[in-house]
Amino acid sequence: MTTHPNPAVIARYADPAAELDEVTVWSVEVHLEGCAHCRALVAGSTADDTRSLLARVAAGLDDGIAAGPAPVRRPRWSAARHRWVVWHLMPWLTMTVAVLACAVLLQALAPGLPSLVALLAPVAPLPGVAIAWSRRHDPAWELIAGTPAAGLTMLLRRTAGVLAVVVPALALASTRTGTSMALTLLPCLAFTAATIALGGFVGVRLAAIGLGAVWALAVIAPAVATAELPAVLRAGSSPGWALLTLTLAGLAVLRADNFRRLSSHN
Amino acid sequence: MMRTVSADETAPTTHPWAVHAQELRVRAGRHLAVDGLDLALGTGVHGLLGPNGAGKTTLMRALATVVKPAGGRLTLLGEAVDGRADLRRVRRGLGYLPQQFGFYPRFTVREFVEYMAWLKEMPKSAVPGAVQRAIDRVGLTAKAGARMKTLSGGMLRRAGIAQAIVNDPAVLLLDEPTVGLDPEQRLDFRELLRDLGVDSCVLVSTHLVEDVVVACTDVVLINEGRLVYQGTPDDLMTQGGQGDAGDSPAERGYSALLRRHRAEAGR
Amino acid sequence: MRRSLDAAGEDDLVRRTAAGDRGAFDELYRRTSPWLLARLRRRCADEDVVADVMQETYLAVWRAAGTFAGSATSGSGVGWLWTIAAHRLVDAFRRRARQNQLPAVALTETVAPAAEDEVMAARVGQELEHALLVLPPEARQVLQAMVLDGFSVRETSLLLGVPENTVKSRARRARLALREALS
Repeated sequence: MTTHPNPAVIARYADPAAELDEVTVWSVEVHLEGCAHCRALVAGSTADDTRSLLARVAAGLDDGIAAGPAPVRRPRWSAARHRWVVWHLMPWLTMTVAVLACAVLLQALAPGLPSLVALLAPVAPLPGVAIAWSRRHDPAWELIAGTPAAGLTMLLRRTAGVLAVVVPALALASTRTGTSMALTLLPCLAFTAATIALGGFVGVRLAAIGLGAVWALAVIAPAVATAELPAVLRAGSSPGWALLTLTLAGLAVLRADNFRRLSSHN
Repeated sequence: MMRTVSADETAPTTHPWAVHAQELRVRAGRHLAVDGLDLALGTGVHGLLGPNGAGKTTLMRALATVVKPAGGRLTLLGEAVDGRADLRRVRRGLGYLPQQFGFYPRFTVREFVEYMAWLKEMPKSAVPGAVQRAIDRVGLTAKAGARMKTLSGGMLRRAGIAQAIVNDPAVLLLDEPTVGLDPEQRLDFRELLRDLGVDSCVLVSTHLVEDVVVACTDVVLINEGRLVYQGTPDDLMTQGGQGDAGDSPAERGYSALLRRHRAEAGR
Repeated sequence: MRRSLDAAGEDDLVRRTAAGDRGAFDELYRRTSPWLLARLRRRCADEDVVADVMQETYLAVWRAAGTFAGSATSGSGVGWLWTIAAHRLVDAFRRRARQNQLPAVALTETVAPAAEDEVMAARVGQELEHALLVLPPEARQVLQAMVLDGFSVRETSLLLGVPENTVKSRARRARLALREALS
């Protein structure tokens, strides 16, 4: 839009009594929306009755502004903060971090034990993921459940929020105790993906409880009993974990539809 | 700034009803709270009446796509709502005020409505204007910056209504919206209801027969999960006789209909 | 202060309004209100309705400027102003519709462009303009409401006082006719 409409046309546009064909009105309006210079021409060609109407509105605005609240300038990141940080997760995440801290401490006190951080890493994100999008724990669940964003989008977004806390905590714990970083983080991601993939069928909460129980019984308990790190967490198993993570993530994506449907679980 | 109009948007509307339930059954826990309900709703304000435990809230939750029906057919805006459907499209056209709703107490009213507008996947550029308009329409303009936890019951209710209407829903479901409103606010709310009913399908559940008579174009009466009666408020008033319980013609009509339905069911 | 206001663009004025700068808001009103008024008047012939819509719009701008300025993808401030006004205009129509007294829509008789308008530059595009001319007036009206003004089907139906399906079929017809004329 490089050329401006004829000023006479603009004057006719500004005059409600003047006749102007629709097509011209159309192109004038498109132009005016993007051109401050021509909007000023509209302002310049106002008749008396127009000016009095504008003055009347301005007086009404004065009253309205005096009576109502002033504009609220929002903090820069407030929208992002509200969308990504889920307040009801805070106690659970705090607990997770505290447990990891205890594991690090215990490791320092009793170096003979198998790496507790590695043993706990797969189940560390599960409590957070389980309640991230759950009827029982989210106070606004009923409101949110009927919106188009409910379902997988919501779950993934909140899971990302959980991982944003758990992953750095695990990374820190693994460097502190000298546990392999890959063998801490990969199982963590694999179990998160598994929870979501399985959650598509039975609900995320049940999936998290089930996976956590299986891991505790099959790996943690024997490891503590024998005081030996199980084979799945020894050096060399990380390619296996990476492969598992990718497979499970793919599976979760394939089952995405499950979360968009109505369901009685979650 | 010209808008692109999609072919989807101008596809002809073929469904005669915004809300259409056939033989609908919905469970509340183990109990079948809605049991074989047939209901067809078009544009207008529909008042949903019924005694406590009639299944009003369960019906609302099923229509809001929050719970899955146990059986029967439910169509919203022409799309089937059951366990197999992708609901995003339908949900964009829905507004829902639950009977009890939790919220994040640290949010201000504006942030709350804005958050809901975002969840309803409204275009980003439309959100600030739509949020302000919804807040203005429910009369919370002066409280827009107040935190949710500081609001009174009536104000919370109105904030809930604001989030329900922020996306200009084609189907609006309000479960007991007048609870906690003072008489003046109730009058304002009736005005709003009438405005909303001009071009959308509004279903309001309430236990106040008078609200329905004044603000609704249509009365829906359910009992024990079934449709008892559907008609105009004027027709409802002609249903009752002098012997029926109630202080107004509408209340007498309401109790007469219920009494007859119970007698039939008891036979 | 005065000078800097003069130099500021409308988007900048909205940002300053967000910070509670009343001077910026008044300047925004001074600059944009004649334009908004002219545009509203072309859509509604009832002066009182137009005045109400104007007042509600600018009050909303004052109150919601913070959200608008804070959102990452704030488009043009002027476009935003129109969006607010458009929805409020429909609200006014809604109110009237239920009282069964629709405000008169300013319906311009379809007159062919006068000779002096023909030389007007800044066209929507020469071909598009010709294509618009061949459209039946009611289809053009629907197109104007939906494409230019950004109304939804429901809002258009309310504004023009015709059923939704009629709006949709007119929009489809306009689309076909335009495609034919532009090819």
